[in-house]
Amino acid sequence: MSITIDDVKKLAKLSRLEFTEEETKEFVKEFEATLNQVDAINRVDVSNIDLLEKTIDADTELRKDEITPSLRADEIVSNAPASEDGAFLVPITVAED
Amino acid sequence: MKYLDYSLTEIIEKLKGGEVTSVELVKECFERIKETADLNALNSTYEKEALARAKAIDETRGRGEDVGVLGGVPVVLKDNINYLGTRTTCASKFLENFISPYTATCAQKLHDAGAIVIAKANMDEFAMGSSNENSAFGPVKNPVDNTRVPGGSSGGSACTVKARQCFMSLGTDTGGSIREPSSFCGVVGIKPTYGRVSRYGVVAFASSLDQVGPLTRTVRDNALALSIIAGADPMDMTSSQTEVPNYLSDIDKGVKGLKIGMPSQFFTDKLSPSVRSSLDKAIEWYRENGAEIVPVELPSVDTALAVYYVISSAEAASNLARFDGVKYGVRAENYEDVVDLYFKSRTQGFGKEVKRRIMLGNYVLSSGYYDAFYRKAKRVQKVIRQEFLSALEKCDCLISPTTATPAFKLGEKANDHVAMYLTDIFTVPVNIAGVPALSLPCGVDEEGLPIGMQLIGKHFDEAMLYRVANAFELAHKEGK
Amino acid sequence: MSWNTVIGLEVHSELNTKTKCFCGCKNEFGDKPNTNCCPVCTAMPGSLPVLNRDAVERAILMGLAVGCRINNYSVFERKNYFYPDLCKAYQISQLEYPLCVGGGLEIELEDGTKKFIRLDRIHLEEDAGKLIHSRNGTMIDYNRGGVPLIEIVSKPDMNSAEEAVAYLQKLRSTLLYVGVSDCKMQEGSIRFDVNISVNRDGEPLGTRTELKNLNSFRAVLRAIKYESARQIEELEAGRKVIQETRRWDDAKGKTYSMRTKEDSQDYRYFPDPDLIPLDVTEEYIESIRKKLPKLAPERKAEYQKMGLTEQDATLITSERAYADFFEAVLKYFNEPKFVCNWITAEVFKKLNALEEDDRKISVTPQDLAKMLELYKNGEINQAGARKIFDALWEGETDPVRLVETLGLKQLNDTGALKAVLEKIIADNPKAVAELKAGNEKTMAFFVGQAMRATQGKANPKLVNDLVRELIK
Repeated sequence: MSITIDDVKKLAKLSRLEFTEEETKEFVKEFEATLNQVDAINRVDVSNIDLLEKTIDADTELRKDEITPSLRADEIVSNAPASEDGAFLVPITVAED
Repeated sequence: MKYLDYSLTEIIEKLKGGEVTSVELVKECFERIKETADLNALNSTYEKEALARAKAIDETRGRGEDVGVLGGVPVVLKDNINYLGTRTTCASKFLENFISPYTATCAQKLHDAGAIVIAKANMDEFAMGSSNENSAFGPVKNPVDNTRVPGGSSGGSACTVKARQCFMSLGTDTGGSIREPSSFCGVVGIKPTYGRVSRYGVVAFASSLDQVGPLTRTVRDNALALSIIAGADPMDMTSSQTEVPNYLSDIDKGVKGLKIGMPSQFFTDKLSPSVRSSLDKAIEWYRENGAEIVPVELPSVDTALAVYYVISSAEAASNLARFDGVKYGVRAENYEDVVDLYFKSRTQGFGKEVKRRIMLGNYVLSSGYYDAFYRKAKRVQKVIRQEFLSALEKCDCLISPTTATPAFKLGEKANDHVAMYLTDIFTVPVNIAGVPALSLPCGVDEEGLPIGMQLIGKHFDEAMLYRVANAFELAHKEGK
Repeated sequence: MSWNTVIGLEVHSELNTKTKCFCGCKNEFGDKPNTNCCPVCTAMPGSLPVLNRDAVERAILMGLAVGCRINNYSVFERKNYFYPDLCKAYQISQLEYPLCVGGGLEIELEDGTKKFIRLDRIHLEEDAGKLIHSRNGTMIDYNRGGVPLIEIVSKPDMNSAEEAVAYLQKLRSTLLYVGVSDCKMQEGSIRFDVNISVNRDGEPLGTRTELKNLNSFRAVLRAIKYESARQIEELEAGRKVIQETRRWDDAKGKTYSMRTKEDSQDYRYFPDPDLIPLDVTEEYIESIRKKLPKLAPERKAEYQKMGLTEQDATLITSERAYADFFEAVLKYFNEPKFVCNWITAEVFKKLNALEEDDRKISVTPQDLAKMLELYKNGEINQAGARKIFDALWEGETDPVRLVETLGLKQLNDTGALKAVLEKIIADNPKAVAELKAGNEKTMAFFVGQAMRATQGKANPKLVNDLVRELIK
C-alpha cells in the first residue's frame, strides 16, 4: 500500500485541515505504517458475508410525529462564535445548493 | 479522609442511615480533589453547584422524602458527556469553552437517581487515545505511580475513582477506553453490550462502537451503577429494548458449574510475565472454585484492530465534521471566507491524533477506496462477531488479560502511534463484536502496578460478568 | 440530421409532517430564525437522529401512488460535505437502498398525445437550513434544517421543455392528491433540478449538464429551451459540452457555469450508524396502501358517471383541491354538471389570475352551493350570480342576504316586463324589422335593452319569450 504527497494533500482538503510541508511528509510515512496494519482485513475470507443482515438488535420503534419542545433561539446560538438576532453568523457566503 | 474509602454501596447505606450527610461527602471530595490536583484527572469542577445540590438533597432526605438510589452521592462524568450548564470539552481545544445546552440521557438518569455531578473528567481528545496523553489540558497521571499513564481514553474517569475523589464515574469505551484505564489504575470498569446504554448526549467518536459504562472500586458498585444508566431511550435508535435485568440478584451465586472460555489467541507470548502469571493464578482460582475452563478459538481476532481503525476512523471523520467553527467552539481569528474559516478553525482546534484519525477516516471512505476498506472492514466485522458468538456458545463467558502489560511510562509510546494502537489488542475485538466486557483488578506486578483481567460476555448478559467478577473480587479483598 | 433533447428531472418535495425528519421540532415555514430548533437539528455534539414514522409513511404513500416498488430493506446514509446550511456537515439521505424504486407517471401533452415517464427512485432525506444575507455577513437559520424531503428522480424520458413541465405539473398534482406535500414553489417546499443533454438522431446520448435554481414552471420551460439551444450551438460550432452544474439566472434568461465535474465533491456516502436499517414489511406496506386517498383517475371515472364530459372531468380533477371543492359543493347542491360548469368557468377564471402558489378557492362550498341553487331556480340571473360570486370571493357570505342587499332578485313578472318591452319595441322599429327578417342576433339587443331598463334584473329567458310573442 503506497500513498503519495498528493494523496495526503487531497485528503487534507477533503478533511478541511491544513498541514505544513513537513507535516505532510510525516503523514505520508505514518499513513503507510497505518495502512500496512490495516491491510490485515484482507487476510479474512468474507466471500460469504451478507451485509444486509442486521448486526444489532434493531427493535426500536420509529418516532411518532408529535411536536416536542424546541430550545429558544438564544439557547441555540449560546455557544456560537458569532451570531445576530438568534441566527449563526458567518462571512458572506454565496448560495451553492 | 473519613468516608472516601468506602465503596459506593457502603456510602449509600451510610447516607440512608444518617451517619453522614451529602454535604459532608461533597466537602470531603473537594478536599481530596485539591490534595490530588497534580493527577490532572479533572477538567472542570463544580463545587458551589454540588454543595447547593447536596444541601437540597440532605433537606429532602431530612423530610423523609425519596432522594433516589444514589441520593446525595458525588459522581464524576467523562468530559464528553453533556450535562446542562457544564463545560463539555472532550479535552479538545476546539470545545474549550463549550457549555452544554442539554443533558445526556445517561447523565440525566444519574441525576434523577439523586447523584451529584461534582466534576468532568479529563480524557484523550475526543476519546482518541490509550494513554490520556492526547488531552489539550495535559496528561492525567496514574494515581498508583504518577510517572505512568492512567490509560485512556477514560483516564480521568479511572484516575478520579482510584484516587478517591468520588465514588463512581462514567466513561466511554469505543475500543477499550473504559477497560484499559480501569486495568492500569486498578478499578472495575465495564463496556456494556452495544445498545445497552443510551448514547444520546455523549459526544460521538465512532457511533457504531461507542458505549457508556461506569467505573467503580468494586464489582457490586459497578452492577448498581449500570442498572441505573442502562435501558432503552427514545432519543437513541440504537439503544436496545431488551429488558434490563437486576444485576444484583445473581451476583453472589459464585462460579461453581460455570464454564469459562479461554481464547488461545488472547494468551500469546506478547503478555508480560507479570500479566501472564496473574491471569494464570486467576484462572486457577476459578478452576479450584468449581468453574470449568474450556479452550475456545477466535481465529480472526488478530484482524480486529485493523477493522477497528477503518470503521472507527471513518465514523469519526464524519462525526467530527460538524466541528467547523460556525455553531460552537473555536473560530480562527483571521480568515478570508467561510471555506478558509473551516480550514483554519479545524486546524487550530484539533490535536494531532484527532487529525490523524480524520485523515484516515476520509481516506477509507473516499471514492475508489470505500469498497476495499470500509465495506471490507464491515464484512470482516461480521466474521469476528460470528466467531465471538460461536465461542460464547460453548461457555458462560470468556476470560483474557485486559492489556498485555501494566501501565507504561508517560511519554513512553507518545511518538509511536502504532505501538500505542497495539495497547488495545485485547479490548478492541469486544467492541467489534458488540458484546459486553468488564475489566477487574486481578493482582499487581513486582512494582505494585495493577493488572486487570477482562471477562467477556454474551450480548446483554452483563449479569454473568458481574457474577463471575464478584466471586473473584470477594475472595481477593485485600488486593483492592 | 436533427437534434434530440434528453431530459431527466430531480424533484425535491418537503413532506408536510408536523415535526422534522429526525427530531420533534416543528416543521413550519416562516418562523423567526432558530426558533424551531433543538440539539439534534443544530448538530450539537452528542445529539442523535430518531426517524419520524410519518415521514417514512408519506414517502411510501407517494411511492405507492406512482407505482413504485417499496424496498423491504432501506438504509439511511450520510452524504458528507461542508456547507454552512448543513449543520452536521453531512446530510442524512439514501443512496444504495432507497425506500421506493421504479414506477412512473403518464403525462398528456397539449396535442392530446400521452407519454409514460418512468421514475428511477424516490428516497427520503432531510432538508438543509437557510442562509440569509445581512449587512454583517451571512446569517444561518436552521428552522428548515432537518425537515423531511423526498427526492423523486425520473429516468431521462423527456424530450422537450413542454414534456418536462407537463411531468412536473402531473407530479405536483399527484403530490397534492396524495396529500404529502404543500408544493409551494415560492416557499421552496417543491424544487426542481434538471439534467439535460442533446444528441443527433441515431447517435449516443450527449454529455449532460445539471440546471439549478429553477423556482417556477416557467423558469423550467425557459431554462430547458435556453440550455438545449446552447448545447446545440456549442456542438455545431465544433466545441464540446462540459459536464457541469449550471445556475439559471431568471432575470437574464441564461444559464451560468457553477462548477465542473473535476471539482465535484466526493461525498463519501456510508450507512449512518446512528440509524438502523429500515425493515419495511409487506404488512406495513399494505397498511399504508389502505391510507392512499382516491387519486385523479378514479375520481375522473366517478365524475363521468355523474354525467360530466371527459373534458370537464379531466379539468375538475386536475388538482385535488378542485375535485375536493367540487365534491363538497355537491353535498349541498347535487347538480354535478351545473356545479362543474361554474367551477371550470368562473372559479378557474379567478384562480388563473393568481400566482401558482396563491391559487386558493376563497369561497365556501356552502355559499357557492346556495348561490348556484338561487341561480338554477331562476331567483337570480347569470349577471346576478356573477355579482354574488364576486362578493363571496371578496369575503362576503350568505348569498340569500346578498340577493337582498345587492337588489339582485330576478324580475319574473310577465306583466311588468311586457310593459318595459312594449316601450323598447316602439322605440326601435329598425331592430324589430331585422328580427322579423330572421336576424337572430338582434334578440341580444332586446335582451340588453331590457336588462338596462331593469338594472339587470330581468329574467333573460322570459324576455326572449316575450319579445317573440310581442312582435308576432
